Amino acid sequence: MKQLEAIPERPATPLGAQHRVAPRRRAAWRTALTSYSFILPIAVFGVFLLVYPVLYSLALSFRDATVETIVGGDMPFIGFSNYEQSLADPTFWQALQNTVVFTFCSILFQFTIGFLLAIFFQNRFPLKNVLIALLLIPWIIPVLTAANTFKGLFNEVGPINQIAHLLGLPTVPWLASPGFALAATIVANIWIGFPFNFILLYSGVCNIPPEVYEAARIDGAGYWRRVGHITLPILKPVTVAVLMLGTIYTVKVFDLVFIMTGGGPANTSHLLSTYAYQIGFSIYNYGEAAAIAIVIIAVILTLNLFQLFLKRR
Amino acid sequence: MPLKLASRTFPLWRSILICSSIIVCLGAARAETTVEIVHYFNVPGQLEGLANIQKDFEAANPDIKIKLTYIPFADLVKTTLQMAQVHKPPGISCIDNPDVRFIAKAGVLKDISADVAKLPTWSDTYPGPKHSVTEGTKVYGVPIGSNSLAIFSNKKMLSDAGVTDPPKTWDELTADAAKLTKSPVYGLVFSATNTEESTWQWEPFLWSNGGSLLDLTAAPAKQALQLWVDLIQKGSVSKDCVNWNQGDVANQFISGQAAMMVMGPWMLGQVHKSGLDFEVTPIPVPKEGEKPVVPLGGEVWCVMKGDPKVEAAAVKFIEFVQDADRLEKLCDTFNYISSVRSVAKKQGEANPELQPFVLQMDTARARPEEGGANYTKVSLAARTAIQQAITGQATVDAALAEAAAKIKPLAAKK
Repeated sequence: MKQLEAIPERPATPLGAQHRVAPRRRAAWRTALTSYSFILPIAVFGVFLLVYPVLYSLALSFRDATVETIVGGDMPFIGFSNYEQSLADPTFWQALQNTVVFTFCSILFQFTIGFLLAIFFQNRFPLKNVLIALLLIPWIIPVLTAANTFKGLFNEVGPINQIAHLLGLPTVPWLASPGFALAATIVANIWIGFPFNFILLYSGVCNIPPEVYEAARIDGAGYWRRVGHITLPILKPVTVAVLMLGTIYTVKVFDLVFIMTGGGPANTSHLLSTYAYQIGFSIYNYGEAAAIAIVIIAVILTLNLFQLFLKRR
Repeated sequence: MPLKLASRTFPLWRSILICSSIIVCLGAARAETTVEIVHYFNVPGQLEGLANIQKDFEAANPDIKIKLTYIPFADLVKTTLQMAQVHKPPGISCIDNPDVRFIAKAGVLKDISADVAKLPTWSDTYPGPKHSVTEGTKVYGVPIGSNSLAIFSNKKMLSDAGVTDPPKTWDELTADAAKLTKSPVYGLVFSATNTEESTWQWEPFLWSNGGSLLDLTAAPAKQALQLWVDLIQKGSVSKDCVNWNQGDVANQFISGQAAMMVMGPWMLGQVHKSGLDFEVTPIPVPKEGEKPVVPLGGEVWCVMKGDPKVEAAAVKFIEFVQDADRLEKLCDTFNYISSVRSVAKKQGEANPELQPFVLQMDTARARPEEGGANYTKVSLAARTAIQQAITGQATVDAALAEAAAKIKPLAAKK
């Protein structure tokens, strides 16, 4: 990026050299065309696969799109009815609340664990690279596998309860209790997501020049002081990027919860994504499902705007 | 330079002639009609059954080609509708029976009442399956076969616990399940997950007790849900059943984690493969001598509206399959019960494991008998109540009252 920015701007056309303007303009045109042609594939890709579906969902969310109306193509425009219907459903509010709790707790722990691991790996010790590779495993494993594994771990007679039983602690049917099902999915999601935070923060940490720490040490700064006053501030751009990407990934989590609880028991662990799926593909109300999908996009945008605001401060 | 040479020596009219004759030849070879069948069958036996019937049909009708297209279960309805929307409908869609009348409302299914009336098997079809494809005088499909639910029991576990016969009544079910529970083995397992599966697995108990999804505040519904709640609270059924789909339920049974399960005939193949010694008995009833009433599962051959030639070929295919011998063969490989009484009787006599399902067919009910095209919404409300009650989030009365309030407006508008 830096190199691109470093290219000096073209010198302005000297006055009185009017006869050379036309070919010069054409040359500029050609350069621009060449540049744009490079981004053409991604632009086409973006318009067809990203912009169009989002706009289509938006349009769908204002229409009465059910099995009966979708075939004739005459889905009538019904204004905000789909949104009103969603907002009137207590399950929607539960799902929205769950999505916020799920995202906040996941990001908080994923980031904290990732950060602590990153500063731990600043030290040199044997087998460091092997350990880093091992730590990435949760991120590499397909979510399907991870979700089913956690489903087994949190089983009423699964390993977690067996250990609790051995330690004399009370056992809980984790995924079968309305109060614990969401917590269990959060634990699983933290496990899946922390390596992503770790590896990005670690690469940021590696770029901090050791001299800065040395200078601070000479000035008498202790370890946590150095972390708080050197590592964290220098990592700020990385942190914002990690939190933003993490938020996007987490708000749209679907597969993990769908496999572990299916939104149950009694709709208590629905995220907006699984709730939208239930409305769309279990009772076939495509319009309302689209409305919920739009709400998900709105939630992601709001959270990211908030983070951008934090970044600017 | 061969290209140039060719263009010089070949006058335009001649190349046009050649091209058009090639097209005509290709067209002649393609004079056959293709019937595309979309389905979500992925069990080896079912795929084998489909492939066999395809081969037989194509051999008997060289002018018709069958094209089988697999679509995952969750996408079948959506994809079928999308295909109809872009005017490239499949010839036949294998729709799950509770969805048929609902999709017919979209106007994409052909009314084949005149064609089925001519079929000798139609008058012999059980009332339940017939009901699921009939709307007034219109008939929107022919059932491929039916399935329902029964109790599978692990013979060794039963004899070890001193249970001589699998339970026939609710009292026996409760007592036997408790006797068979010995940590880490549960006496019974059923699916109460957050999908249609839990409503479907509860319906045999609700309906055998004379209850209805449209009247959940009545005593029969309360008793049926209380039965499940008690089984779970006594520890005879794992609390985790709220997250187990029917595949998980079968795994619990096969791996010896549960002594009995509520399951349908499509799992017979898998249970057999595990080498487990088991038997199948009808769903326990509230009081001795009563008849179990189970919900009907199974898919329906539905002809999609489209090119009349394809429609005619699709009907021809359905008629071909309805031949009694072929039907029996197909249902056997599917592990389904034929929806045709005489064929089902023969299947039951030949296979004792299918017999309980065959015996239940007379009283079996189509799920949309309650709620009609709104069944899916009624079912969603009901299963939320089931989950609330068995996880202790609400009492049986409160959970059912809440569901009944949601179902009331749905039942009113047809």
